Amino acid sequence: MSSFADPTLEGARSSRPSRARRAPVSRLGLILMAPAMLLLTLFFFLPVALTGVFAFTDLSTSTGIGRGDYVVTPNLLRELGDRGMSSADLEAVSRASVTVDAETIERARAAGVDGRFLDDIEGDFLGRSFDAPSDFERDLRRLRTAPRRARDLKSAAALFETSVLNQRFTTSDGLSAKLETLAPEVTPAARAQIVDASYTGARFTTENFERLATQKETARLVANTFLYVGATLSLFNVGLGLFLAVVLFYTPKGMSSLFSTLWLLPRITPVVLYAVMWKWFTWEGGFLPILAEQVGLPSFNYMKGSVVTAWATMITLNGFIGASFGLILFSGALRAIPVQQLWASEVDGASRWQQVRRIILPQMRWPILFVTAYQTLSLLSSYEQIWLTTNGGPGRTTTVWALEAFKTALSNYTGNLEYGMGAAMALVLVVVGLVLSLIYLRLFKFNELVGRPKIEI
Amino acid sequence: MTFHMKSAALAALLGSVAFAAAAEDYTITVWSGGTGDSSNYRIDAISIAAEQMMREAKVRGEDLNITVEGQAWSGWDDFKQAVTLASEAENAPDIIVSGHEDIGPWSEAGLIRPIEDYVYFDTWPLNTIYPNLIQTASFNGQIWGVPQDAEARVMFWSIPALEAIGWSRDEIESLADRVQSGEFTLADMVDTVKQMQDEGVIEPGMGFGPRVSNGPDYWQFYQSFGGEMADPETGKLIVDTAALEGMYGFFADAVEQDVVSQTHLGTEWDVWHQNAAAGNYGAWHGGTWHKAQWQNQFGLEDFFGEVQYTLIPAGNEAGRANSITHPLVYLLSATSTEDESAIAAELIAMASAPDINALHAVKSAHLGISEDETQVPLYAGDEWLAAASERLAPHTNAIPNNSDFGTFWTAMYQGLESSWTGATDPAEAAQNVADSVKKSLGDNVVVR
Repeated sequence: MSSFADPTLEGARSSRPSRARRAPVSRLGLILMAPAMLLLTLFFFLPVALTGVFAFTDLSTSTGIGRGDYVVTPNLLRELGDRGMSSADLEAVSRASVTVDAETIERARAAGVDGRFLDDIEGDFLGRSFDAPSDFERDLRRLRTAPRRARDLKSAAALFETSVLNQRFTTSDGLSAKLETLAPEVTPAARAQIVDASYTGARFTTENFERLATQKETARLVANTFLYVGATLSLFNVGLGLFLAVVLFYTPKGMSSLFSTLWLLPRITPVVLYAVMWKWFTWEGGFLPILAEQVGLPSFNYMKGSVVTAWATMITLNGFIGASFGLILFSGALRAIPVQQLWASEVDGASRWQQVRRIILPQMRWPILFVTAYQTLSLLSSYEQIWLTTNGGPGRTTTVWALEAFKTALSNYTGNLEYGMGAAMALVLVVVGLVLSLIYLRLFKFNELVGRPKIEI
Repeated sequence: MTFHMKSAALAALLGSVAFAAAAEDYTITVWSGGTGDSSNYRIDAISIAAEQMMREAKVRGEDLNITVEGQAWSGWDDFKQAVTLASEAENAPDIIVSGHEDIGPWSEAGLIRPIEDYVYFDTWPLNTIYPNLIQTASFNGQIWGVPQDAEARVMFWSIPALEAIGWSRDEIESLADRVQSGEFTLADMVDTVKQMQDEGVIEPGMGFGPRVSNGPDYWQFYQSFGGEMADPETGKLIVDTAALEGMYGFFADAVEQDVVSQTHLGTEWDVWHQNAAAGNYGAWHGGTWHKAQWQNQFGLEDFFGEVQYTLIPAGNEAGRANSITHPLVYLLSATSTEDESAIAAELIAMASAPDINALHAVKSAHLGISEDETQVPLYAGDEWLAAASERLAPHTNAIPNNSDFGTFWTAMYQGLESSWTGATDPAEAAQNVADSVKKSLGDNVVVR
């Protein structure tokens, strides 16, 4: 944009008093915006940024969320053996011994072990060493002054022990130093390999996306999500919403307010209660199956008993929530249509259907686009109603992307929570959502909407 | 203000006096997963132990106060999520009662402490616990938990339905032996329940009533077709594609034959329990503990007269009749203080005494954890536990403790769901499992 584009702005810049007048306004604007920015940062930018980072890690239940530790375990040594580490090295690292000498006794005294107990240890075992820590522990228990509590005795015994196995080190240097004193014959390269492999925390990886791109399950999840969003949106959020708005537009005012309020019920009912009501409605012994039985139709658990009815239930129960949103928006837009146009058309002998087709629908383009755009995004990321009702079943036939992401990251039977993989799936949703938003903004010609009015009012 | 200041000072003074008298106050929290109405002793046993410990302290002249706060989750998803997230937030309970398979991932992540650091396993009562159960509570050369119960999973058969299709008393009696020897297979079972349906004894689609949700139970069918979950020597996970295909094929075939519905998975538990207790299924599989639920909540009266029980039959020549035990274990959270963990561990040890554990075993129809427990009159007098201990328990094995097993498990169940609902054919589903597990776990898994 050239500096000649806006002479008024240019003028404002050159005149000092007017800039002074503008300053408090913009500061006020910033202050007013600050809470919104703070909330946006806390609840949108930060989570998205964290999701972005987690998506490129193998963060899971077994890595833990925080920083990992460095632990050498028997399983790790076996794995290293499988990867070709020499058995001499592995044996050196897994060495454990117990030595009772002046140094270890002093160490125990410094750690606060009971003095009488230490005197007994010194008297009975000074200068001795044990191959197995359990032998030493058993001998300690025979001492008259041994602590009553197992924990106290075991932690005292551990002070005489030299071993690296199953000990958690917070830094790689700590483990490395310990390995160096315990097994000096292990080469620095092998030591570095052990230390690296012993890290229990998450590591950076692109594997999540590779898995998503190659596994067959992805295609099914995408197809399910398309079906769910497409059907709910077209049949209910837009279709039913528009139908109801038009019908209520032609009904007397009192009646139309009553019906509008009734259609709001699914939206204002708490989601758990709403899900429970649908269960009463569709399960064995519920309203629909009993009704079906009366009229001789197949009667079973419609929510979970067959793939087709599960889909129908899931789309309908989500659609009823979304329909009210469309209804309110469309009703508002309908009232904005100059009523003279309808009078004129009636003078010309137009039927109701012709009014809807020729006058109402053409003027509803923007609200329809808006509802479509807004609801696509919210349906894409919603899973709570599905989780509470079909739970993605029967089998996995009604599992959509958002539900799978939630289950992968946060809730599944085996408790194997794959935060990294779940974050990768969520990131895909965020990206799809952002791309769709950009497309919709272009379709809406958002710039024109928020642009300078063509005439001053 | 002055009054407040004074009272604060007084409180502080009283506090320090109390401290000098060595009064110790502890609140021990216990969270227990998969715990319904019949299994209240998972938590209550800790309260009983706390009572005993306070008495013992009093005898020694110490002043010890322990309050036990318990929370039971009926399912597993929410419970495991809660434990994991609470641990990450350093807010976990002192004692966690969960499946032994959680020891792998939770110990690696540093969420739990090895209980062997807090109690002696060579003194009573922990030294009486069956060594194979201690094995299931061990990982990486350390004992992480104390087994809380054990069980066997069972194939149940409706005796009235078997009689109705002409089975003699002898044939019904000898079924357990024929299943155990491998003579009577899963295919024979499908034929039998199909016959029940054809003759109108059992309604169509109700011949076979498998477990309605994910569970260790489905690994039994993997074993029926020769599958091994992990190498017993190295502990490495094994994906046996042929066994997976056999198992998926069996369920797909059962759907094909209409002895179970295509959408059975995901049925409500209560519906399944009602059908099982009412004898609406020809054959169904569950666990020893279900008997207690059917009798207490679902109105089953004459269990032994109406239900025959066997191992899960073999699927083919490669497999064997088997049963899986899934011991729950008492675990110590790593977020407690050392003192709380020491108290918690001692409470767990005391709660594992044969007479206290027998309360849980008998009430919930779980198997006991020690040889001594079978001598407790309450336990010895229970017909079902005695019968299950004899016929089923010796043939049980547990799922492996391996931090990667959850990945394999999730994939196995996804494959089962997709072949059950007909979305994928069994061979393809088995191959998908092998591919995805290999991709996730690399060298840590062997694909056969």
